[in-house]
Amino acid sequence: MFGSAGRDAAKVEIDARRGGLGVLLAFLAPALIIYAGFTIYPVLRTFYNAFHAIKPQGVVEFVGFGNFTALLLADPVFWKAVTNTALFTLVATIVDVVGGLLLALCLFARAPLAPLLRVIWFTPVLMSYVVVGILWVWIFDYDWGLANASLRWLGLGALEQSWLGQPSTALWSVLFAHEWKWLGFNMIVFLAALHALPAEVLGAAELDNCGWLAKLIYIIAPMLRTTIVNLMVLSFIGKMMVFDLIWVMTGGGPLWSTETVSTYVYKRAFEWNTFDLGYPSAIAVLWFVIILAFVAIVTRALRQRDRLEF
Amino acid sequence: MATPLRQAFDQVRRAPLVLFVLLYTVVTGGPLLWVATMSLRTTAEIFKDPYGVPSPIHWAKFADAWTKSNYGTYFWNSAIVVVSAVALVTVVGAMAAHCLARYSFRGNRLVRLLILAGLVLPPQLLILALFQILLDINLYNTLSGLVLVYVATHVAMTVYILEGFFAQIPQDLFDAARMDGYSDFEIFWRVTMPIGAPAIFTTVTLNFIILWNEFLFAVVLLTDDDKRTLPLGIMHFTGSHQLDVGMVATGLMIAILPIIALYAFFSETMIKGMTAGAIR
Repeated sequence: MFGSAGRDAAKVEIDARRGGLGVLLAFLAPALIIYAGFTIYPVLRTFYNAFHAIKPQGVVEFVGFGNFTALLLADPVFWKAVTNTALFTLVATIVDVVGGLLLALCLFARAPLAPLLRVIWFTPVLMSYVVVGILWVWIFDYDWGLANASLRWLGLGALEQSWLGQPSTALWSVLFAHEWKWLGFNMIVFLAALHALPAEVLGAAELDNCGWLAKLIYIIAPMLRTTIVNLMVLSFIGKMMVFDLIWVMTGGGPLWSTETVSTYVYKRAFEWNTFDLGYPSAIAVLWFVIILAFVAIVTRALRQRDRLEF
Repeated sequence: MATPLRQAFDQVRRAPLVLFVLLYTVVTGGPLLWVATMSLRTTAEIFKDPYGVPSPIHWAKFADAWTKSNYGTYFWNSAIVVVSAVALVTVVGAMAAHCLARYSFRGNRLVRLLILAGLVLPPQLLILALFQILLDINLYNTLSGLVLVYVATHVAMTVYILEGFFAQIPQDLFDAARMDGYSDFEIFWRVTMPIGAPAIFTTVTLNFIILWNEFLFAVVLLTDDDKRTLPLGIMHFTGSHQLDVGMVATGLMIAILPIIALYAFFSETMIKGMTAGAIR
């Protein structure tokens, strides 16, 4: 009798976590239906598209790996876009992580007005790319832009440039604007991580008369490894797909110097009169696979080192 | 005795830090202030002196932009799309997150994995097929089509944040509610939702800011001028009035102001919201 009561109690406990199929479906179905229809299905369709030529009026031809061989072997614009995107991603990811950490350290070192500065520095993160893009087009304007005006004011008028108008500076100028928008984000994430560090360790370093650079390299950076890896991955993914800011500021020009994979996908699909959605889909699929592979390798490598050290 | 000297040394050592901090503040805040001043000046005034203070202040430019340059329409389109999408994704996402966090059932992990896979999907992988799909079902170039796309592409992030929070609510509360005879839906509505309010607030903020600024989906899926959202409207206006810098600046301010107004009151919530996915 006692035993059966115990069993009943256990049963009640399990029942609280169990729902009928109807209940489960009622909770999950709305999300799953919208998600399946407008995310999973489009992904599958993009993969399907990548192996076909999709022409207007519903003409679809199977081309196998034709799109992929064409873009890998005979498309100089694609390779230009890949080079630009890789360069942009590499530099921007490093600047994001290093710059974000340095800014966070400034505030962590009790700079005056730190709480207010934290709020001001984060403001650009909230701006849309369209706003940021137009604003920086003006800043880089040759005649009346803030960039050249500041150079003249500093007596460096010789360095005046048509920042967005020439291939040698356009990509770097867009990158600068991009970092202006995102550094605040990395700063906040690092600041939160810094405040979560055990105070005793930093105090002990202080007692050992550890210089700030040594403290940064040997104590703070290793303890922030997880945050650094997360931000690197996040930044990497974002930069590999950079579209909006480039589209607003340069449209990929001049002379392909800021063309990225994403802007090229858009152009091939909607701007050039090639009338084929299959080819740009192949680019998108290839790029997605490369991003996934990179993220997998980077996280695996960095987490592995983690395990060996501790 | 040595303390004042030590303090003086510290002051000197901190000088570069303070200088750098000041410089960075000017670099982040300066351009925004610059747009603000330009939005209240006419183009002729700006070309005479790009960095002058607005005097007289042309408040009427905002009314002009609103009525004559179609910014009113763009603003309301953005408001309708963003509010509906955020409301929908919050309800739908909270229900799914509650289900995944509260019920143990066969396939729980599979559903979770399927939804969270959405976190790593780049928009470029969806956009071409979404263009075809919305054409097929006659939702291309409609605001409702864009709302559905926004919900679908932001449900993963929403479920991810909410599920993490909901799972930490003690099971005892739910057992007690069940004992009191609450139905499954009442438990969701009267236990999970009120207790999960802070997390829900976070996802609402995050989705609101991201969608208010969204550009890529909108530019592919909308074509009519009277359906454009604010970012598209500004882009379009800039394209056709490149030299009317003053008016473009006013348009930029119309897009910035709602966000800045919210930020002035809810800065901590918004910072927490924007970084919710990255912290921890």
